[in-house]
Amino acid sequence: MSKVFFREALARAITEEMEREPRLFLLGQDIAGHGGSYAETRGLFERFGAARVRNTPVAEAMTVGFAAGAAAAGLRAMAFITYLDFLMLGLDALVNYAAKLRFKSAGQLTAPIVVKATAGAKGQGPTHAQSIESWLMNVPGLTVLAPSNPGDAYGLLKTALRAPGPVVFIDHKKLFPQGGIVPEQEELIPIGSAAVRRAGRHLTLVAHSYMSVLALEAAVQLATQGIEAEVIDLRSLWPIDWDTLTGSARHTGHVLMVEEGQVVCGVGAEIAFGLRERVPELRVARLGARRAPVAASPVLEAYTIPDAHAIVGAAHGLLMRAASGQSTNGQSL
Amino acid sequence: MIKKLLIPIELGEAIEVRLLLWCKTEGQQLGAGDALLEFETDKALVLVSASQPAVLRHCFYREGEWMKPGDTAAWLSDEPDEPLPAKGDTIAEELLVGFDVT
Repeated sequence: MSKVFFREALARAITEEMEREPRLFLLGQDIAGHGGSYAETRGLFERFGAARVRNTPVAEAMTVGFAAGAAAAGLRAMAFITYLDFLMLGLDALVNYAAKLRFKSAGQLTAPIVVKATAGAKGQGPTHAQSIESWLMNVPGLTVLAPSNPGDAYGLLKTALRAPGPVVFIDHKKLFPQGGIVPEQEELIPIGSAAVRRAGRHLTLVAHSYMSVLALEAAVQLATQGIEAEVIDLRSLWPIDWDTLTGSARHTGHVLMVEEGQVVCGVGAEIAFGLRERVPELRVARLGARRAPVAASPVLEAYTIPDAHAIVGAAHGLLMRAASGQSTNGQSL
Repeated sequence: MIKKLLIPIELGEAIEVRLLLWCKTEGQQLGAGDALLEFETDKALVLVSASQPAVLRHCFYREGEWMKPGDTAAWLSDEPDEPLPAKGDTIAEELLVGFDVT
């Protein structure tokens, strides 16, 4: 095991997969000589050359469309979208073409592409910091991944780059500044597998991406108050690992969904409902961003987005309402 | 006087950094402007240079190890034979340094 930065885990996964699969190429803004917006493609242009590491203009619709078309014609593509917000410009190619291609062609064609985009609030304001991954969960044919650490980023990205259909791989700005452990040997993580980060018995915190980090911090705080929280890191937003989630829900009886995006039609809404279908006696609650755009002001951004303290408060609220027999419901901050 | 070399906390949003290179070995004299060590953040390479003469006395981290902003990376002294405090002792004086970020 070795410790690396998040960007290095991505670069290692890409490098190994490009060496394994000569049809795989990369395209995106500033990924060639500049080495990527987060230095995650540093050295790849020099290693694999201009034919396989291609800079694109500021044109996300073209970038995703080009990737999907090339993949349908027999290549494999990884497209880099600097901010998840800008994937809105590429949604037509992603949703109407890539995600539907297998269905429309009766399985004769596929679009093996990975669209990597960076989500999350870290001072970039209302149009560069959104967490809109739940939009993508709604699309049949799309796989949606959101790792929370370098080891998962490595293993999931390698799997994604071998997947038959379009995958959206979402990382988070706040995951880049710290290191994490990756395996020495090649190791793939299956799509659709959540990870239990911490065992507990009183309630389950379910999160993904950077919110998994905060959920673990909250669990540590809760433990000092006598509440043992189990923490599940989704890793895969679609498909969902219902077995792991259901097992934990049955064990603790209380699930708090935590996400950085909106709770309305959010990741938590889908999973909470699915869990109630499977565990009818389950008490559930949701925590997400306030019903407002992500603020540019750091003060307002912090006010808008859940932190560990808010997770602790929501966990207490869920347990107290359950203990008093009140119904539980969704909430933003 | 014994001085400490701190990993600066003014590193943007860096949470951890990785030590890449000690430019001097323990016992070596540094002049003002001499490179002392290099580390990397998630985005940048940072070369730390001494802004005053000193002798590198004890390195707390090895190349390849991870540090956090605010960590003490090394002890230095004005004279080569000044006795060092016991490990774990607090040193108030900081070595004056400069940074080159690429």
